[in-house]
Amino acid sequence: MDHALTLDRVTKRFGSFTAVSELSLQVPKGCIYGFLGQNGAGKTTTIRMVMSIFHPDSGAISVLGHPDAREVKDRLGYLPEEKGLYKKMKTAEIVAYFGKLKGMDRSTANLRARELLTRFGLGDWLDKKCEAMSKGMGQKVQVLGTIIHEPELVILDEPFSGLDPVNRDTMRDLILDMKRQGRTVIFSTHGMEHAEQLCDYVMMIHKSKLQFAGTLAEIKSGRERGIQLDYDGDGRLLQQLPGAQHVNDHGKHAEIFLQPGHDPQQALRWLVDRVVVRRFDYREPSLHEIFVRTVEEANQRLLAAGVTR
Amino acid sequence: MANKTLLVAQREYLDNVRTKTFWLGILAFPVLLVISIGAGWVLNKLKETQSYAVLDPTEDRLGERIERAARTPEVTAFAKLLQDQAKQLPESLQGRRQGLLDGFGGDPQAPNEEAVQRLQKLMLDLPASDLDAAMRANKGFDSARKYQRRKLADLGLEGKPLDEQRKALAELVQKGTLFAYFEIGTDPLRSLADFKYVSNNLTDDALRSWYADAATRVVQKLRLASSGVDPAVAKQLQERVYFREQKVGSSGAAEDVKTGEKANKFAPVAFVYLLWIAVFTAAQMLLTNTVEEKSNRIIEVLLSSVSPLQLMAGKIWGIAATGLTIVGSWVLCALFGVWLAPRLITGLDLPLLDIVGNPLYLISFVVYFFFGYLLYAAILVGLGSVCNSLKEAQNLLQPVFLLLIVPLVSMMFIVQEPNGTVAKVLSYVPLFTPFTMMNRAGGPPEVYEYVVTGLILVVSVVVAFRAAGKVFRVGILMTGNPPKLKEVLGWLRAG
Repeated sequence: MDHALTLDRVTKRFGSFTAVSELSLQVPKGCIYGFLGQNGAGKTTTIRMVMSIFHPDSGAISVLGHPDAREVKDRLGYLPEEKGLYKKMKTAEIVAYFGKLKGMDRSTANLRARELLTRFGLGDWLDKKCEAMSKGMGQKVQVLGTIIHEPELVILDEPFSGLDPVNRDTMRDLILDMKRQGRTVIFSTHGMEHAEQLCDYVMMIHKSKLQFAGTLAEIKSGRERGIQLDYDGDGRLLQQLPGAQHVNDHGKHAEIFLQPGHDPQQALRWLVDRVVVRRFDYREPSLHEIFVRTVEEANQRLLAAGVTR
Repeated sequence: MANKTLLVAQREYLDNVRTKTFWLGILAFPVLLVISIGAGWVLNKLKETQSYAVLDPTEDRLGERIERAARTPEVTAFAKLLQDQAKQLPESLQGRRQGLLDGFGGDPQAPNEEAVQRLQKLMLDLPASDLDAAMRANKGFDSARKYQRRKLADLGLEGKPLDEQRKALAELVQKGTLFAYFEIGTDPLRSLADFKYVSNNLTDDALRSWYADAATRVVQKLRLASSGVDPAVAKQLQERVYFREQKVGSSGAAEDVKTGEKANKFAPVAFVYLLWIAVFTAAQMLLTNTVEEKSNRIIEVLLSSVSPLQLMAGKIWGIAATGLTIVGSWVLCALFGVWLAPRLITGLDLPLLDIVGNPLYLISFVVYFFFGYLLYAAILVGLGSVCNSLKEAQNLLQPVFLLLIVPLVSMMFIVQEPNGTVAKVLSYVPLFTPFTMMNRAGGPPEVYEYVVTGLILVVSVVVAFRAAGKVFRVGILMTGNPPKLKEVLGWLRAG
């Protein structure tokens, strides 16, 4: 199979600290791939290794079929987690500058920068300095700088953080657009709903180790199903549901897992009597639930193994 | 590859050069220089005429003699002007020239009193603009208009009792009509205790010392005469030994030192100072910029497109171009000044312009700026790459600044002994080579010294670049505390 990115038992240490441990991963071409994990789990280090900003201590990385990512730097697009712009530069200039750094010729880069900014609603800002922009606009400018050279593989570190809903939608459309054009998009996120809605594949890394990787369906299959409930009323009552093993209450939405042998139908009947049920669904757990459980289980395993960090 | 370095350099250059503050900063320097030179001159021009009166209870009118003695230098200077530079004189004076000079015959230092008085009166009557034009070209006119004596007769005090005169003069000083009045002592042969100067301005002492100089001369003459010493003998006795300054010229014989020649030897000091400022402005610019880029994390985007070495080289060259723009602008300002000044001000000290326009100085300045900058740039960019904030960077900079004091401290010393041991030794220390060699330019050093120190400097720049590259590559992505020296040394070895 043709892969945009392959990691083979990649390990990276900083002194005595292991940031990424024996990570193997394959990202097929043309998909959207989500990198999940807590802060400090090793996502950014992995991404930096892919971008050949860091070099792995052991293992091999192949990007777009090349063993050395430096050879294909110009075919990659990268939006780092912490986003900065040159404050004194004009937006069109900086987007074009990023394009030129990726090997675009001057006039094409200038033209395309203006075109992109205009298309994404920043037409009035072309000749304004970056320092005048809001955070959301700045982030948009950065993303445009990431994709101006039409990279085959785009890696976005936390592209949604700090964006308002409208800009999140713009970002989402941009990612979907890239997929439609046959590009491969990898993004890391803390927002499980984004991963769930957008990604063909997801992987999760916890404390430097890969926990799971695959399509959403693969990851969810075989996992214990749960009740997805939208409701109005007193959430505390949900905890008293007979046979409830675990309740994630969000106030208006709750995810409830039952002990083995308990019937969701009976639970529904019980719930209808106590809260206003707006939606009731019995299905695979959400990615959110899987994430939280994975973290818990992994921590317990580590504790049991006597590993302390 | 090189193309990307160029892109980074270009951006860096434009980023700096496009701002208004940059050009204001560049221009501020020559402008400040001109202002500080011009200000004293202008202020002196603006100074109001100080009027004074003289209370003279002596029988032999000592006051008048002092006044004449005080005015003699300016009058003789004026007479000399009439004699030597007739063509520059205003037309109104051309015709009367010969008449005015009567009595200034044989010894221009001792004109007869009548001639002095006549000329002095003319000077006071001349239109200010004419006199100013004459004054600009010649020293010695300063006091002509600055200090003006008001005669007691004009103040309506002639012949009144001494106490009444004192009271009236004190009132005039109080009112500001008079800046001050002098009272001549009654018995200058024996005691100087009752010479008085009465003024309410306690800070401006110029009038008092000017008048006191003249009074001293007069009193000395009086005392010498009263003790029976022949004035000619007295003058001889008082003469100071003066060594005429000469040097061994290119012909091998001793020849007089020309005006300006001495200044020329001291001139490198000014250039060293400018060089120092330029090198550190540019190197500091690089440091600030590196730390900023690192702290706002734009570095990561850049590193996904260019290699760390390309980035570093791009920044160094970009700022080098910025620095050369600064230095080039200064040189242009200097050349422009050299061209403009004689057209603006007549009779200016021309040797000064020769110094500013001296090609050895100008070329040394630009070349040593370039290599000095590169060396310090490599050090500072390495430093900057391991720091997360300007504050951290400043702490790390302190030892570098300690080194930097050396060229400043040794500046005057080296210019006095441009080929001395200290100067020679410092020339071979690459960190100091640019400053020391600039400093010695008045010497000037031997050609072989230029070659050898130049080679050492270039090799050091190359080594510093390599080392900086190794540190930069690791340091630029580091966050948290700056690394320890041991770690940095480890990087240097590892690379």
